[in-house]
Amino acid sequence: MESLILALFVCLVLALITKYLSIPAIPFYILAGVLLGKAGGGMLTNNEISQFFSEMGLIFLLFFMGLGLKPERIASNRSAVLTSGFIDLNINMIIGFAAAYMLGFSFTESLIIAAAFYISSTAMALTSLIENRKLMLRESDTVIWLMVFEDLVLIIFLAILSAGNQNLIIFFVKILAVLGVLYALAHYGKEFLISILDRDDELPILFTFAAVLTTASFSMYLGVPETMMVIALGVAFATTDPDAFEQHARPFKDVFLVVFFVFFGVTVDFSGGANWFVIGAISLIAIASKLISGLLTGVFIHGSALSGLEIWANTIARGEFSIALAVIYGSPLVGTTIAAMVIVTSIVGSFMAKYSGVLRRGIVNHSRHKALLRRPH
Amino acid sequence: MSAMALRSLNLPGVGTKYEFETDKGDTVAIFFTKTGAVQMYTLQKGCQTPSAAEMSPVEARRLGNILTGAIIEADQESVEIAFSALADLRITIHTFFVTAAVIGKTIEDLQIRAKTGATVIAVCRHDRNIINPPPTFVFEKGDAALVIGESDQIKKFEGEIMVE
Repeated sequence: MESLILALFVCLVLALITKYLSIPAIPFYILAGVLLGKAGGGMLTNNEISQFFSEMGLIFLLFFMGLGLKPERIASNRSAVLTSGFIDLNINMIIGFAAAYMLGFSFTESLIIAAAFYISSTAMALTSLIENRKLMLRESDTVIWLMVFEDLVLIIFLAILSAGNQNLIIFFVKILAVLGVLYALAHYGKEFLISILDRDDELPILFTFAAVLTTASFSMYLGVPETMMVIALGVAFATTDPDAFEQHARPFKDVFLVVFFVFFGVTVDFSGGANWFVIGAISLIAIASKLISGLLTGVFIHGSALSGLEIWANTIARGEFSIALAVIYGSPLVGTTIAAMVIVTSIVGSFMAKYSGVLRRGIVNHSRHKALLRRPH
Repeated sequence: MSAMALRSLNLPGVGTKYEFETDKGDTVAIFFTKTGAVQMYTLQKGCQTPSAAEMSPVEARRLGNILTGAIIEADQESVEIAFSALADLRITIHTFFVTAAVIGKTIEDLQIRAKTGATVIAVCRHDRNIINPPPTFVFEKGDAALVIGESDQIKKFEGEIMVE
Protein backbone atom coordinates (compact mmCIF):
# COMPACT_ATOMS: atom_id res chain seq x y z
CA MET A 1 0.00 0.00 0.00
CA GLU A 2 2.84 2.44 0.87
CA SER A 3 4.30 1.86 -2.60
CA LEU A 4 1.08 2.87 -4.22
CA ILE A 5 0.69 6.01 -2.14
CA LEU A 6 4.28 7.02 -2.79
CA ALA A 7 3.76 6.42 -6.52
CA LEU A 8 0.57 8.48 -6.57
CA PHE A 9 2.22 11.32 -4.69
CA VAL A 10 5.24 11.40 -7.01
CA CYS A 11 2.91 11.38 -10.01
CA LEU A 12 0.88 14.23 -8.62
CA VAL A 13 4.04 16.34 -8.37
CA LEU A 14 5.18 15.25 -11.83
CA ALA A 15 1.76 16.00 -13.32
CA LEU A 16 1.87 19.51 -11.85
CA ILE A 17 5.34 20.17 -13.22
CA THR A 18 4.78 18.70 -16.69
CA LYS A 19 1.42 20.47 -17.09
CA TYR A 20 3.07 23.72 -16.05
CA LEU A 21 5.85 23.25 -18.63
CA SER A 22 3.34 21.76 -21.12
CA ILE A 23 5.44 18.71 -21.84
CA PRO A 24 4.11 15.12 -21.93
CA ALA A 25 3.88 13.44 -18.54
CA ILE A 26 4.08 9.80 -19.66
CA PRO A 27 7.89 9.56 -20.03
CA PHE A 28 8.34 11.10 -16.58
CA TYR A 29 5.90 8.68 -14.94
CA ILE A 30 7.94 5.82 -16.39
CA LEU A 31 11.23 7.42 -15.37
CA ALA A 32 9.88 7.89 -11.85
CA GLY A 33 9.07 4.19 -11.76
CA VAL A 34 12.52 3.30 -13.06
CA LEU A 35 14.30 5.55 -10.56
CA LEU A 36 12.22 4.57 -7.54
CA GLY A 37 12.15 0.90 -8.51
CA LYS A 38 15.09 -1.44 -8.76
CA ALA A 39 17.56 1.34 -9.58
CA GLY A 40 16.48 3.46 -6.62
CA GLY A 41 16.99 0.76 -3.99
CA GLY A 42 13.49 -0.62 -4.36
CA MET A 43 11.49 2.20 -2.80
CA LEU A 44 8.69 1.09 -5.09
CA THR A 45 7.90 -2.59 -5.47
CA ASN A 46 5.23 -4.32 -7.43
CA ASN A 47 2.62 -5.98 -5.27
CA GLU A 48 -0.91 -7.26 -5.63
CA ILE A 49 -2.50 -3.87 -5.19
CA SER A 50 -0.31 -2.08 -7.70
CA GLN A 51 -0.75 -4.96 -10.11
CA PHE A 52 -4.53 -4.68 -9.83
CA PHE A 53 -4.38 -0.92 -10.38
CA SER A 54 -2.09 -1.38 -13.38
CA GLU A 55 -4.42 -3.93 -14.93
CA MET A 56 -7.33 -1.55 -14.45
CA GLY A 57 -5.27 1.17 -16.11
CA LEU A 58 -4.65 -0.97 -19.16
CA ILE A 59 -8.27 -2.07 -19.40
CA PHE A 60 -9.64 1.44 -19.10
CA LEU A 61 -7.11 2.76 -21.62
CA LEU A 62 -8.35 0.24 -24.16
CA PHE A 63 -12.02 0.78 -23.28
CA PHE A 64 -11.49 4.49 -23.85
CA MET A 65 -9.84 3.84 -27.18
CA GLY A 66 -12.86 1.77 -28.21
CA LEU A 67 -15.24 4.57 -27.24
CA GLY A 68 -13.44 6.90 -29.63
CA LEU A 69 -13.56 4.49 -32.55
CA LYS A 70 -16.42 4.93 -34.93
CA PRO A 71 -15.57 2.91 -38.01
CA GLU A 72 -18.31 4.51 -40.11
CA ARG A 73 -16.61 7.90 -39.71
CA ILE A 74 -13.67 6.79 -41.83
CA ALA A 75 -15.95 6.51 -44.85
CA SER A 76 -15.76 10.28 -45.38
CA ASN A 77 -12.17 10.54 -46.64
CA ARG A 78 -11.33 6.91 -47.00
CA SER A 79 -8.62 7.00 -49.64
CA ALA A 80 -6.45 9.56 -47.84
CA VAL A 81 -6.83 7.74 -44.53
CA LEU A 82 -5.97 4.39 -46.09
CA THR A 83 -2.98 5.73 -48.06
CA SER A 84 -1.40 7.45 -45.06
CA GLY A 85 -2.30 4.51 -42.82
CA PHE A 86 -0.65 1.93 -45.07
CA ILE A 87 2.48 4.02 -45.59
CA ASP A 88 2.82 4.43 -41.83
CA LEU A 89 2.12 0.75 -41.16
CA ASN A 90 4.43 -0.72 -43.78
CA ILE A 91 7.41 1.58 -43.34
CA ASN A 92 7.47 1.45 -39.57
CA MET A 93 6.61 -2.21 -39.11
CA ILE A 94 9.25 -3.30 -41.62
CA ILE A 95 11.98 -1.01 -40.30
CA GLY A 96 11.06 -1.80 -36.69
CA PHE A 97 11.06 -5.53 -37.28
CA ALA A 98 14.29 -5.50 -39.31
CA ALA A 99 16.08 -3.35 -36.74
CA ALA A 100 15.01 -5.51 -33.80
CA TYR A 101 15.79 -8.78 -35.59
CA MET A 102 19.23 -7.62 -36.70
CA LEU A 103 20.03 -6.39 -33.19
CA GLY A 104 19.56 -9.91 -31.92
CA PHE A 105 15.96 -10.23 -30.76
CA SER A 106 14.05 -13.42 -31.50
CA PHE A 107 11.34 -13.53 -34.18
CA THR A 108 8.44 -13.11 -31.72
CA GLU A 109 10.24 -10.45 -29.72
CA SER A 110 11.01 -8.54 -32.91
CA LEU A 111 7.35 -8.71 -33.88
CA ILE A 112 6.29 -7.18 -30.57
CA ILE A 113 8.99 -4.51 -30.75
CA ALA A 114 7.92 -3.73 -34.33
CA ALA A 115 4.33 -3.26 -33.22
CA ALA A 116 5.35 -1.01 -30.33
CA PHE A 117 7.74 0.78 -32.70
CA TYR A 118 4.94 1.36 -35.21
CA ILE A 119 2.20 2.67 -32.97
CA SER A 120 2.49 6.34 -32.07
CA SER A 121 0.98 7.79 -28.94
CA THR A 122 -2.54 8.97 -29.71
CA ALA A 123 -2.73 10.87 -26.43
CA MET A 124 0.50 12.78 -27.04
CA ALA A 125 -0.21 13.46 -30.73
CA LEU A 126 -3.67 14.91 -30.05
CA THR A 127 -2.55 16.89 -27.02
CA SER A 128 0.32 18.36 -28.99
CA LEU A 129 -1.97 19.38 -31.87
CA ILE A 130 -4.30 21.15 -29.45
CA GLU A 131 -1.68 22.71 -27.19
CA ASN A 132 0.52 23.90 -30.02
CA ARG A 133 -2.57 25.29 -31.79
CA LYS A 134 -2.12 23.32 -34.95
CA LEU A 135 -5.66 22.05 -35.42
CA MET A 136 -6.27 24.18 -38.48
CA LEU A 137 -3.24 22.86 -40.38
CA ARG A 138 -4.24 20.43 -43.09
CA GLU A 139 -1.60 18.01 -41.76
CA SER A 140 -3.54 17.84 -38.49
CA ASP A 141 -6.42 15.99 -40.11
CA THR A 142 -3.94 13.50 -41.53
CA VAL A 143 -2.35 12.97 -38.11
CA ILE A 144 -5.72 12.58 -36.39
CA TRP A 145 -6.90 9.94 -38.87
CA LEU A 146 -3.53 8.23 -38.75
CA MET A 147 -4.09 7.73 -35.04
CA VAL A 148 -7.49 6.15 -35.71
CA PHE A 149 -5.94 3.86 -38.31
CA GLU A 150 -3.20 2.84 -35.88
CA ASP A 151 -5.81 2.05 -33.24
CA LEU A 152 -7.59 -0.24 -35.67
CA VAL A 153 -4.32 -1.99 -36.52
CA LEU A 154 -3.62 -2.41 -32.80
CA ILE A 155 -6.87 -4.35 -32.44
CA ILE A 156 -5.75 -6.71 -35.21
CA PHE A 157 -2.35 -7.10 -33.52
CA LEU A 158 -3.97 -7.94 -30.22
CA ALA A 159 -6.06 -10.60 -31.95
CA ILE A 160 -3.08 -12.15 -33.77
CA LEU A 161 -0.66 -11.99 -30.85
CA SER A 162 -3.09 -13.39 -28.32
CA ALA A 163 -4.32 -16.19 -30.56
CA GLY A 164 -1.01 -17.93 -29.82
CA ASN A 165 -1.22 -21.69 -30.18
CA GLN A 166 -4.97 -21.97 -29.84
CA ASN A 167 -7.13 -23.44 -32.52
CA LEU A 168 -7.66 -20.36 -34.65
CA ILE A 169 -11.16 -21.23 -35.80
CA ILE A 170 -12.49 -21.83 -32.29
CA PHE A 171 -10.64 -18.71 -31.11
CA PHE A 172 -12.24 -16.45 -33.72
CA VAL A 173 -15.67 -18.05 -33.31
CA LYS A 174 -15.46 -17.27 -29.58
CA ILE A 175 -14.44 -13.69 -30.31
CA LEU A 176 -17.24 -13.23 -32.81
CA ALA A 177 -19.73 -14.68 -30.34
CA VAL A 178 -18.71 -12.25 -27.60
CA LEU A 179 -18.75 -9.37 -30.10
CA GLY A 180 -22.23 -10.38 -31.18
CA VAL A 181 -23.45 -10.40 -27.59
CA LEU A 182 -21.91 -6.97 -26.91
CA TYR A 183 -23.47 -5.44 -30.00
CA ALA A 184 -26.85 -6.98 -29.31
CA LEU A 185 -26.72 -5.57 -25.76
CA ALA A 186 -25.79 -2.10 -27.01
CA HIS A 187 -28.35 -2.22 -29.81
CA TYR A 188 -31.38 -3.63 -27.99
CA GLY A 189 -30.53 -2.10 -24.64
CA LYS A 190 -29.77 1.33 -26.05
CA GLU A 191 -32.69 3.09 -24.39
CA PHE A 192 -31.98 1.38 -21.08
CA LEU A 193 -28.30 2.37 -21.28
CA ILE A 194 -29.15 5.97 -22.07
CA SER A 195 -31.69 6.11 -19.24
CA ILE A 196 -28.97 4.93 -16.85
CA LEU A 197 -26.43 7.42 -18.17
CA ASP A 198 -28.89 10.29 -17.81
CA ARG A 199 -29.21 9.85 -14.06
CA ASP A 200 -27.26 12.16 -11.81
CA ASP A 201 -26.68 9.80 -8.90
CA GLU A 202 -23.89 7.22 -8.58
CA LEU A 203 -25.51 4.80 -11.02
CA PRO A 204 -23.87 5.88 -14.32
CA ILE A 205 -20.34 5.69 -12.95
CA LEU A 206 -21.04 2.45 -11.10
CA PHE A 207 -22.52 0.95 -14.23
CA THR A 208 -19.56 2.00 -16.41
CA PHE A 209 -17.04 0.53 -13.97
CA ALA A 210 -18.99 -2.70 -13.55
CA ALA A 211 -19.56 -3.13 -17.28
CA VAL A 212 -15.86 -2.80 -18.09
CA LEU A 213 -14.76 -5.12 -15.28
CA THR A 214 -17.45 -7.69 -16.02
CA THR A 215 -16.49 -7.79 -19.68
CA ALA A 216 -12.82 -8.21 -18.79
CA SER A 217 -13.34 -11.03 -16.33
CA PHE A 218 -15.97 -12.76 -18.43
CA SER A 219 -13.70 -12.83 -21.47
CA MET A 220 -10.86 -14.27 -19.36
CA TYR A 221 -13.28 -17.00 -18.30
CA LEU A 222 -14.12 -17.70 -21.94
CA GLY A 223 -10.47 -17.67 -22.96
CA VAL A 224 -10.71 -14.71 -25.33
CA PRO A 225 -8.30 -11.78 -24.85
CA GLU A 226 -9.85 -9.31 -22.41
CA THR A 227 -7.89 -6.50 -24.05
CA MET A 228 -9.81 -6.94 -27.30
CA MET A 229 -13.11 -7.38 -25.55
CA VAL A 230 -12.92 -4.15 -23.57
CA ILE A 231 -12.11 -2.32 -26.82
CA ALA A 232 -15.12 -4.02 -28.40
CA LEU A 233 -17.24 -3.00 -25.40
CA GLY A 234 -16.11 0.59 -25.97
CA VAL A 235 -16.98 0.42 -29.67
CA ALA A 236 -20.39 -1.09 -28.85
CA PHE A 237 -21.11 1.54 -26.18
CA ALA A 238 -20.01 4.28 -28.57
CA THR A 239 -23.21 3.61 -30.51
CA THR A 240 -25.25 4.85 -27.52
CA ASP A 241 -23.79 7.91 -25.80
CA PRO A 242 -19.97 7.88 -26.06
CA ASP A 243 -19.55 11.29 -24.42
CA ALA A 244 -21.36 10.19 -21.29
CA PHE A 245 -19.33 6.98 -21.08
CA GLU A 246 -16.11 8.93 -21.58
CA GLN A 247 -17.09 11.27 -18.80
CA HIS A 248 -17.82 8.40 -16.40
CA ALA A 249 -14.79 6.29 -17.34
CA ARG A 250 -12.30 9.15 -17.35
CA PRO A 251 -11.64 9.31 -13.57
CA PHE A 252 -10.84 5.58 -13.50
CA LYS A 253 -8.69 5.79 -16.59
CA ASP A 254 -6.76 8.83 -15.40
CA VAL A 255 -5.83 7.45 -12.00
CA PHE A 256 -5.24 3.81 -12.95
CA LEU A 257 -3.25 4.68 -16.06
CA VAL A 258 -0.78 6.80 -14.11
CA VAL A 259 -0.22 3.87 -11.75
CA PHE A 260 0.14 1.63 -14.80
CA PHE A 261 2.94 3.80 -16.20
CA VAL A 262 4.84 4.05 -12.92
CA PHE A 263 4.73 0.35 -12.16
CA PHE A 264 5.70 -0.43 -15.72
CA GLY A 265 8.76 1.71 -14.98
CA VAL A 266 9.36 -0.32 -11.83
CA THR A 267 9.64 -3.54 -13.84
CA VAL A 268 12.22 -1.94 -16.12
CA ASP A 269 15.79 -2.71 -15.20
CA PHE A 270 18.34 -0.63 -17.03
CA SER A 271 21.17 -1.79 -14.77
CA GLY A 272 21.29 -5.52 -15.34
CA GLY A 273 21.75 -6.93 -18.82
CA ALA A 274 20.51 -3.86 -20.62
CA ASN A 275 22.46 -3.33 -23.81
CA TRP A 276 22.78 0.41 -24.20
CA PHE A 277 23.80 0.12 -27.83
CA VAL A 278 20.66 -1.84 -28.73
CA ILE A 279 18.42 0.49 -26.71
CA GLY A 280 19.96 3.61 -28.24
CA ALA A 281 19.83 2.20 -31.75
CA ILE A 282 16.14 1.25 -31.53
CA SER A 283 15.23 4.66 -30.11
CA LEU A 284 17.08 6.55 -32.86
CA ILE A 285 15.75 4.33 -35.64
CA ALA A 286 12.27 4.84 -34.20
CA ILE A 287 12.65 8.59 -34.75
CA ALA A 288 14.18 8.19 -38.21
CA SER A 289 11.61 5.68 -39.39
CA LYS A 290 8.69 7.99 -38.61
CA LEU A 291 10.56 10.67 -40.55
CA ILE A 292 10.58 8.46 -43.63
CA SER A 293 6.90 7.52 -43.30
CA GLY A 294 6.00 11.13 -42.48
CA LEU A 295 7.80 12.52 -45.52
CA LEU A 296 6.23 9.92 -47.81
CA THR A 297 2.77 10.67 -46.40
CA GLY A 298 3.36 14.40 -46.83
CA VAL A 299 4.36 13.94 -50.46
CA PHE A 300 1.54 11.50 -51.29
CA ILE A 301 -1.30 13.23 -49.46
CA HIS A 302 -0.36 16.91 -49.44
CA GLY A 303 2.19 16.98 -52.26
CA SER A 304 4.80 18.52 -49.99
CA ALA A 305 7.76 17.20 -48.05
CA LEU A 306 7.34 20.09 -45.61
CA SER A 307 3.91 18.74 -44.73
CA GLY A 308 5.64 15.44 -44.11
CA LEU A 309 7.92 17.14 -41.63
CA GLU A 310 4.89 18.42 -39.73
CA ILE A 311 3.32 14.94 -39.72
CA TRP A 312 6.62 13.50 -38.48
CA ALA A 313 6.93 16.02 -35.66
CA ASN A 314 3.52 15.06 -34.28
CA THR A 315 3.85 11.30 -34.63
CA ILE A 316 7.39 10.72 -33.26
CA ALA A 317 6.17 10.11 -29.72
CA ARG A 318 5.41 6.50 -28.85
CA GLY A 319 3.51 6.08 -25.64
CA GLU A 320 0.60 4.32 -24.00
CA PHE A 321 -0.05 1.65 -26.63
CA SER A 322 3.61 0.72 -27.03
CA ILE A 323 3.79 0.23 -23.28
CA ALA A 324 0.56 -1.74 -23.32
CA LEU A 325 2.08 -4.13 -25.88
CA ALA A 326 5.25 -4.42 -23.78
CA VAL A 327 3.25 -5.21 -20.66
CA ILE A 328 0.94 -7.74 -22.29
CA TYR A 329 3.45 -9.65 -24.42
CA GLY A 330 6.98 -8.45 -23.76
CA SER A 331 9.80 -10.22 -21.96
CA PRO A 332 11.77 -8.08 -19.45
CA LEU A 333 14.38 -7.30 -22.11
CA VAL A 334 11.73 -6.27 -24.65
CA GLY A 335 10.02 -4.21 -21.94
CA THR A 336 13.23 -2.35 -21.14
CA THR A 337 13.86 -1.61 -24.83
CA ILE A 338 10.33 -0.35 -25.37
CA ALA A 339 10.50 1.73 -22.17
CA ALA A 340 13.65 3.47 -23.41
CA MET A 341 12.12 3.99 -26.85
CA VAL A 342 8.99 5.56 -25.32
CA ILE A 343 11.02 7.86 -23.08
CA VAL A 344 13.36 9.04 -25.87
CA THR A 345 10.74 9.39 -28.62
CA SER A 346 8.17 11.14 -26.45
CA ILE A 347 10.66 13.74 -25.23
CA VAL A 348 12.12 14.31 -28.71
CA GLY A 349 8.59 14.26 -30.14
CA SER A 350 7.21 16.88 -27.79
CA PHE A 351 10.18 19.12 -28.59
CA MET A 352 9.82 18.66 -32.36
CA ALA A 353 6.04 19.22 -32.24
CA LYS A 354 6.57 22.47 -30.40
CA TYR A 355 9.20 23.79 -32.80
CA SER A 356 8.09 22.23 -36.10
CA GLY A 357 6.82 25.62 -37.27
CA VAL A 358 10.24 27.16 -36.71
CA LEU A 359 11.88 24.22 -38.45
CA ARG A 360 9.60 24.57 -41.49
CA ARG A 361 10.16 28.28 -41.77
CA GLY A 362 13.91 27.73 -41.40
CA ILE A 363 13.95 25.24 -44.25
CA VAL A 364 11.81 27.47 -46.49
CA ASN A 365 14.06 30.50 -45.84
CA HIS A 366 17.19 28.46 -46.35
CA SER A 367 16.02 27.13 -49.73
CA ARG A 368 14.91 30.60 -50.78
CA HIS A 369 18.29 31.93 -49.83
CA LYS A 370 19.99 29.24 -51.88
CA ALA A 371 17.71 29.92 -54.85
CA LEU A 372 18.64 33.60 -54.68
CA LEU A 373 22.36 32.81 -54.63
CA ARG A 374 22.03 30.54 -57.62
CA ARG A 375 20.17 33.10 -59.70
CA PRO A 376 22.42 34.55 -62.41
CA HIS A 377 23.11 38.23 -61.97
CA MET B 1 -24.88 31.46 -49.67
CA SER B 2 -22.43 29.15 -51.41
CA ALA B 3 -19.42 31.29 -50.51
CA MET B 4 -20.25 30.92 -46.84
CA ALA B 5 -20.67 27.16 -46.93
CA LEU B 6 -20.05 26.02 -43.37
CA ARG B 7 -18.35 22.67 -42.96
CA SER B 8 -18.66 20.81 -39.72
CA LEU B 9 -16.55 17.79 -39.02
CA ASN B 10 -16.12 15.36 -36.16
CA LEU B 11 -12.47 14.75 -35.37
CA PRO B 12 -12.06 11.56 -33.35
CA GLY B 13 -10.41 12.23 -30.01
CA VAL B 14 -10.23 15.97 -30.61
CA GLY B 15 -13.75 17.35 -30.92
CA THR B 16 -15.84 19.17 -33.50
CA LYS B 17 -14.53 21.45 -36.19
CA TYR B 18 -16.48 24.21 -37.95
CA GLU B 19 -14.89 25.92 -40.89
CA PHE B 20 -15.99 28.42 -43.49
CA GLU B 21 -14.46 30.67 -46.07
CA THR B 22 -15.51 34.29 -46.27
CA ASP B 23 -16.43 36.08 -49.51
CA LYS B 24 -13.01 37.69 -49.50
CA GLY B 25 -11.24 34.36 -49.25
CA ASP B 26 -10.21 34.37 -45.60
CA THR B 27 -10.83 31.22 -43.65
CA VAL B 28 -12.22 30.95 -40.14
CA ALA B 29 -12.14 27.69 -38.22
CA ILE B 30 -13.55 26.95 -34.79
CA PHE B 31 -12.74 23.83 -32.79
CA PHE B 32 -14.74 22.70 -29.81
CA THR B 33 -12.16 20.45 -28.18
CA LYS B 34 -12.95 17.61 -25.80
CA THR B 35 -10.96 19.38 -23.10
CA GLY B 36 -13.70 22.05 -23.08
CA ALA B 37 -11.53 24.77 -24.57
CA VAL B 38 -12.65 26.47 -27.78
CA GLN B 39 -9.96 27.32 -30.32
CA MET B 40 -10.54 29.85 -33.06
CA TYR B 41 -8.21 30.06 -36.04
CA THR B 42 -8.19 32.69 -38.75
CA LEU B 43 -6.22 32.33 -41.94
CA GLN B 44 -5.85 35.34 -44.17
CA LYS B 45 -6.14 34.69 -47.89
CA GLY B 46 -2.72 33.88 -49.32
CA CYS B 47 -1.16 33.32 -45.91
CA GLN B 48 0.43 30.08 -44.82
CA THR B 49 0.23 30.18 -41.04
CA PRO B 50 -3.06 30.73 -39.25
CA SER B 51 -3.28 32.67 -36.04
CA ALA B 52 -5.08 31.11 -33.15
CA ALA B 53 -6.83 32.07 -29.94
CA GLU B 54 -7.92 29.70 -27.22
CA MET B 55 -11.01 30.54 -25.20
CA SER B 56 -12.94 29.08 -22.31
CA PRO B 57 -16.62 28.32 -23.07
CA VAL B 58 -17.69 31.53 -21.31
CA GLU B 59 -15.26 33.63 -23.33
CA ALA B 60 -16.40 31.92 -26.52
CA ARG B 61 -20.05 32.77 -25.76
CA ARG B 62 -19.07 36.35 -25.10
CA LEU B 63 -17.31 36.52 -28.46
CA GLY B 64 -20.42 35.04 -30.05
CA ASN B 65 -22.56 37.78 -28.52
CA ILE B 66 -20.25 40.45 -29.86
CA LEU B 67 -20.28 38.92 -33.32
CA THR B 68 -24.10 38.77 -33.46
CA GLY B 69 -24.12 42.52 -32.94
CA ALA B 70 -25.44 42.54 -29.42
CA ILE B 71 -24.83 45.51 -27.19
CA ILE B 72 -22.81 44.33 -24.28
CA GLU B 73 -22.97 46.53 -21.26
CA ALA B 74 -21.59 45.96 -17.82
CA ASP B 75 -24.68 44.45 -16.25
CA GLN B 76 -27.48 44.54 -18.81
CA GLU B 77 -26.88 42.76 -22.06
CA SER B 78 -28.79 41.81 -25.11
CA VAL B 79 -28.39 39.15 -27.72
CA GLU B 80 -29.74 39.41 -31.21
CA ILE B 81 -30.36 36.22 -33.12
CA ALA B 82 -30.79 36.40 -36.88
CA PHE B 83 -32.45 33.53 -38.74
CA SER B 84 -31.28 33.95 -42.30
CA ALA B 85 -33.54 31.15 -43.50
CA LEU B 86 -36.69 32.95 -42.25
CA ALA B 87 -36.61 36.17 -44.31
CA ASP B 88 -33.84 37.44 -42.09
CA LEU B 89 -35.96 37.31 -38.93
CA ARG B 90 -34.15 39.10 -36.12
CA ILE B 91 -35.07 38.47 -32.53
CA THR B 92 -33.56 40.33 -29.62
CA ILE B 93 -33.33 39.10 -26.07
CA HIS B 94 -32.55 41.79 -23.51
CA THR B 95 -32.00 41.71 -19.77
CA PHE B 96 -33.39 44.47 -17.55
CA PHE B 97 -33.05 45.13 -13.87
CA VAL B 98 -36.52 46.09 -12.67
CA THR B 99 -37.09 49.73 -11.89
CA ALA B 100 -39.33 51.31 -9.26
CA ALA B 101 -42.05 51.75 -11.90
CA VAL B 102 -42.80 48.03 -12.05
CA ILE B 103 -42.01 46.82 -8.54
CA GLY B 104 -45.11 45.39 -6.88
CA LYS B 105 -47.03 45.15 -10.17
CA THR B 106 -47.98 42.05 -12.15
CA ILE B 107 -47.23 41.40 -15.80
CA GLU B 108 -51.01 41.66 -16.39
CA ASP B 109 -51.25 45.06 -14.63
CA LEU B 110 -48.48 46.44 -16.79
CA GLN B 111 -50.12 45.20 -20.04
CA ILE B 112 -46.64 44.47 -21.34
CA ARG B 113 -47.63 42.43 -24.39
CA ALA B 114 -50.52 44.72 -25.40
CA LYS B 115 -48.50 47.92 -25.06
CA THR B 116 -45.14 46.84 -26.46
CA GLY B 117 -45.46 43.46 -28.16
CA ALA B 118 -42.46 42.20 -26.20
CA THR B 119 -42.68 39.20 -23.87
CA VAL B 120 -41.08 38.55 -20.51
CA ILE B 121 -39.71 35.02 -20.88
CA ALA B 122 -37.79 34.67 -17.66
CA VAL B 123 -37.08 36.42 -14.39
CA CYS B 124 -33.99 35.90 -12.32
CA ARG B 125 -34.66 36.30 -8.59
CA HIS B 126 -31.99 35.62 -5.94
CA ASP B 127 -29.97 33.43 -8.35
CA ARG B 128 -33.07 31.39 -9.12
CA ASN B 129 -34.63 31.48 -12.58
CA ILE B 130 -38.38 31.63 -13.13
CA ILE B 131 -38.99 30.57 -16.71
CA ASN B 132 -42.18 31.75 -18.46
CA PRO B 133 -43.66 33.73 -15.54
CA PRO B 134 -47.52 33.72 -15.50
CA PRO B 135 -49.53 36.97 -16.02
CA THR B 136 -50.13 37.07 -12.25
CA PHE B 137 -46.38 37.23 -11.59
CA VAL B 138 -45.44 40.15 -9.31
CA PHE B 139 -42.09 41.91 -9.84
CA GLU B 140 -39.95 42.43 -6.76
CA LYS B 141 -37.01 44.66 -6.04
CA GLY B 142 -33.75 43.13 -7.33
CA ASP B 143 -35.39 41.03 -10.06
CA ALA B 144 -33.77 40.80 -13.45
CA ALA B 145 -36.17 40.28 -16.35
CA LEU B 146 -35.34 38.64 -19.66
CA VAL B 147 -37.44 40.16 -22.41
CA ILE B 148 -37.75 38.87 -25.96
CA GLY B 149 -39.00 40.69 -29.05
CA GLU B 150 -37.98 42.62 -32.11
CA SER B 151 -35.59 45.44 -31.40
CA ASP B 152 -38.38 48.08 -31.80
CA GLN B 153 -40.51 46.22 -29.28
CA ILE B 154 -37.59 46.06 -26.88
CA LYS B 155 -37.02 49.81 -27.24
CA LYS B 156 -40.73 50.41 -26.57
CA PHE B 157 -40.52 48.19 -23.49
CA GLU B 158 -37.57 50.20 -22.23
CA GLY B 159 -39.36 53.51 -22.88
CA GLU B 160 -42.86 52.69 -21.62
CA ILE B 161 -42.66 49.91 -19.06
CA MET B 162 -39.23 49.79 -17.50
CA VAL B 163 -39.03 53.55 -16.98
CA GLU B 164 -36.44 54.85 -14.57
